[in-house]
Amino acid sequence: MKLDPAFIWTAFVKLLPAIPITLYLTVISVLAGLLFGTGIALLRIYRVPVLSQIASGYVTFIRGTPMLVHLYLVYFGLPAIIDVVSESFGWSFRSVSVPYFVFAVIAFTITASAYMSEVVRSGLLAVNRGQLEAAHSIGMTTPQALRRIVFPQAFAASLPNLTNSLIGMLHGSTLAFTVSVVEIMAKAQIVASTNWKFFEAYLAAALIFWGLTVLIERIAARVERRINVYNRGGVA
Amino acid sequence: MPGAKFDIHYVFDYFPKQLSTLSLTLTIVGLSILLGLGFGFLVALPRLYKVPVLQRVSQVYVSFFRGTPILIQLFLIYYGLPEVLKLFSVDVTRTPVLAFVVLTYSLHAGAYISEMIRAGVTAVDRGQVEAAYSVGMSGFQAFVRIVLPQALAISLPVFANLVIATLKDTSLAFSLGVMEMTGKAQTLITLSQHFVETYIALAILYFVISFILEKIFYVLERRLLKHERQEAGAGTGRRFGWRSAPTLRNLLTGTTRGRGGARARDGRSEA
Repeated sequence: MKLDPAFIWTAFVKLLPAIPITLYLTVISVLAGLLFGTGIALLRIYRVPVLSQIASGYVTFIRGTPMLVHLYLVYFGLPAIIDVVSESFGWSFRSVSVPYFVFAVIAFTITASAYMSEVVRSGLLAVNRGQLEAAHSIGMTTPQALRRIVFPQAFAASLPNLTNSLIGMLHGSTLAFTVSVVEIMAKAQIVASTNWKFFEAYLAAALIFWGLTVLIERIAARVERRINVYNRGGVA
Repeated sequence: MPGAKFDIHYVFDYFPKQLSTLSLTLTIVGLSILLGLGFGFLVALPRLYKVPVLQRVSQVYVSFFRGTPILIQLFLIYYGLPEVLKLFSVDVTRTPVLAFVVLTYSLHAGAYISEMIRAGVTAVDRGQVEAAYSVGMSGFQAFVRIVLPQALAISLPVFANLVIATLKDTSLAFSLGVMEMTGKAQTLITLSQHFVETYIALAILYFVISFILEKIFYVLERRLLKHERQEAGAGTGRRFGWRSAPTLRNLLTGTTRGRGGARARDGRSEA
């Protein structure tokens, strides 16, 4: 087996069509995770009885187990649950008709919402309490104050963490190859084993991920500069 | 539905069987973190001391290992390293897979550790080094005796996260055929087809280990940061962490913490 630099480019071109799948996996699970994570974070910050304990248990457990295990549990456990439920209701719907992609997204959302809830929570805790009190004092309701005053500032504070989580989920999406979703990693494996050129194929995949990561970092840096404008001090 | 019918007994049954491979998982984690500390130091130093060319090299190294998924790195090193070494006529075909796995994890951890060291050292006040120089310490002495202990204390939480992340990442080593906990789980599944039960047992195992690790690091952190405890206590009252939604009653009776409570108390004494 000889090193074939030209094949890196060939593999690179072959991997390009798989990028959208990886991005869909990442973006959908991060957005859904952000939504659920915000809910979890609010439950925990407001110390809603019972629910907040459940929420912390959930976050601790998910953060203490590998993403791969979540994926496997959803992939092998959820179809059984779906089938039992739909059978008991007499539906004709069966888990076989659900594409693998959906299971991967659900599993990654479960992972992401735990990590995102911590991101959102630390962001909210970074906002000065007086901001909320000021909003209340001019007659805003708590949801209004949260939406208009607290969340924008919390977003600015948690943007670096958010970027890290997004990159983490992007990298984590490679695990979807274990449940036969053809994203970049799976495509690289296919290209590698059909051409018997493993090193070159994985190198091309690594380059794509590297590029995507650097791109996300650049965009985040730009957004961060923009969003922290209010914080710059001075008079003009 | 794949596999056999759900049977909770398999969870308890498989628990000890997977536990038997725990030592291998922990070995991978331990070796990777140790080697990673070495790599991390080597890579962090050129950037801390701004060594011309090496600085760029370590920057690219860190960017690459933080910018690509660990799974791809595993495959890349497993398939790539032998080929690269072959160019220098070194034959590594008989090296066990475990060596490649540990190397990958330590290179991966090394990138994060170097960033951690950099952040920790930068967080140490510049005056500390100057003070060390002024009492006649050499550069090496100042680093080892003054900066490093403080930097370690600062970066311990990051280090704890890294160790736990590495533990969870070891679950990927099965993809190269290493028989650690996840690999063991997969062989148990091929025997019995009890997917969900096996993975539940696996999840519990990982959770318990990372929980224990977290507790250990928490105790360590408290001990290392003893000298800063007083500062940490102050200034937390005014953050956004309200215990419950502030109600009018709470505000009036002064049960909320911080300045609001003090003001309410004053009002009452006047009345």
